[in-house]
Amino acid sequence: MALRDTAIVGFAETKIEARSGRDVWDYGAEVLESLIRTTGIEKSEIDGLLINGSMTGAGNCFWSQTTAEFLGLELDFCQTVDVGGSSAVAAVSRAAAALDAGLCSTVLLLNIDTESSEQNLKMRSFHGEWIHPYGMIGPPADFGLLSRRYDHLYGLDFEALGKLAVTQRNHALLNDNACEKLRKPITVEDYLNSRMIADPIRLLDCVMVCDGGNGLLMTTRKRAKEKGIDNFVVPLGYGERTNYRTAENLAEITESGHHVAGRKAFAQAQLTPADIGSYQPYDDFLIAVMIKLEMLGFAKPGQGGAFIREHSLAHDGNLPINTGGGQISAGQPGLAGGGVNLIEGVRQLMGKGGARQIKDRRHALVTGIGGIPYGRNWTTSTALILGAEG
Amino acid sequence: MSELLNDTLAVERPAPRHYSFSEPYWQGTREKKLLLQYCRESGQYQFYPRPVSIFTGTRELEWREVSGRGQVFSWTTAHIARPPFTGHTPYLVVTVTLDEGVNLIANLINCPMEKVAIGLRVRPTWAPLPDGTNLLLFEPDDAADA
Repeated sequence: MALRDTAIVGFAETKIEARSGRDVWDYGAEVLESLIRTTGIEKSEIDGLLINGSMTGAGNCFWSQTTAEFLGLELDFCQTVDVGGSSAVAAVSRAAAALDAGLCSTVLLLNIDTESSEQNLKMRSFHGEWIHPYGMIGPPADFGLLSRRYDHLYGLDFEALGKLAVTQRNHALLNDNACEKLRKPITVEDYLNSRMIADPIRLLDCVMVCDGGNGLLMTTRKRAKEKGIDNFVVPLGYGERTNYRTAENLAEITESGHHVAGRKAFAQAQLTPADIGSYQPYDDFLIAVMIKLEMLGFAKPGQGGAFIREHSLAHDGNLPINTGGGQISAGQPGLAGGGVNLIEGVRQLMGKGGARQIKDRRHALVTGIGGIPYGRNWTTSTALILGAEG
Repeated sequence: MSELLNDTLAVERPAPRHYSFSEPYWQGTREKKLLLQYCRESGQYQFYPRPVSIFTGTRELEWREVSGRGQVFSWTTAHIARPPFTGHTPYLVVTVTLDEGVNLIANLINCPMEKVAIGLRVRPTWAPLPDGTNLLLFEPDDAADA
């Protein structure tokens, strides 16, 4: 048995909302109910739970167990996946491993967070001594340093980033789950003129933190077929790297672990970037999307901007990118945010993209970014290639 | 616009809590000495302080005083801030490559906007913290211009 002997048989996503005031488990309940209703799989069949480490649950180191308790789940496998924004994508690999090992037979992969309403993080890390005394405001400042370095090495094409911003925003206009505050058209000029946060990072480079939830149901391909499920998605290739080049003092910050994670995922799937029909990259900042085009082999280093200019990235274009708006235009439901990109990849392969449905449903690429290390690129880089079946 | 950049010296920074293995670094700053961990096995410096060598995984580490001179690796201007930096924007956050071959993050002060650039030579300067330690900052190394 292998990764591709497992099947994603259902997806669910709540509306993404800013400061909703809703409880994080209320989102979890909405996701669970939706998955049961849309797949016909009963609650009693769910014997595995993977849940993201979240900003809301951060004070509770019994997070997966307590969530299972509140959702009334009796389980043989129960685990928190705590690789930040990579957690949703990484959970697919953990679920496949658990199914492969016979630990369970039907896994709920749940991503929920209400970071904009209830943030309980107490960060024990390098930040207290080495970051906060310098007034670094978090990820925007890290990405400011990254962007400036990229500009120095290659020249940063801000109009290409603007095109990406507009493309993703247009997709959010077609996505009823996107945060309403973000569902307004923008132009490249709006992007270029948006106020500086951490020069050269502008407001419209950044995600807006929200609340929300999403999830998948996974089982074995055999069991899916036995149950008569004929429209499912199969993970074909996966790669993950935490702390890329961490023991090299001066590693270039414009390079990420996606370089190795992507190579591994493509090799396992026996595919190349040319085989990818849609691309759903984790997007906390626009430049992350561009750099990953380079790291994953779509473009050479320094050529990500040219790639964006030369390709149509819309849902009906030649490489549809973040067809639900991505997190930047749909909103980032805290550390459930990685699920925004993942669920859109699954939705599109199942042919349920509605007004934004892509044409080439064969293979989708989804990525995750989790955490930002000290003075480096990002902590956990993940790449997942999905294939449609049925 | 050079006069608009804030030198952050008026920011009332609290003294950070130190991890046990960072303590020699902070004690060194009381005398405005910059101490770095040096891995005896691999012959490399590392920053920030760790409980082990990030190169070998062993604890064959010693503290060595370094000059603190180096050059700007990258920089950004903070236009928004949280307490205690609120009201002190804009200010510069830089990554500096020390001559000893490590990158570290700090504020660059006394530097007009038109001067900041990747590759700019910098030297250490210090801001006092309430517990008697000092916070490492950088300023342009004007001697390097000559």
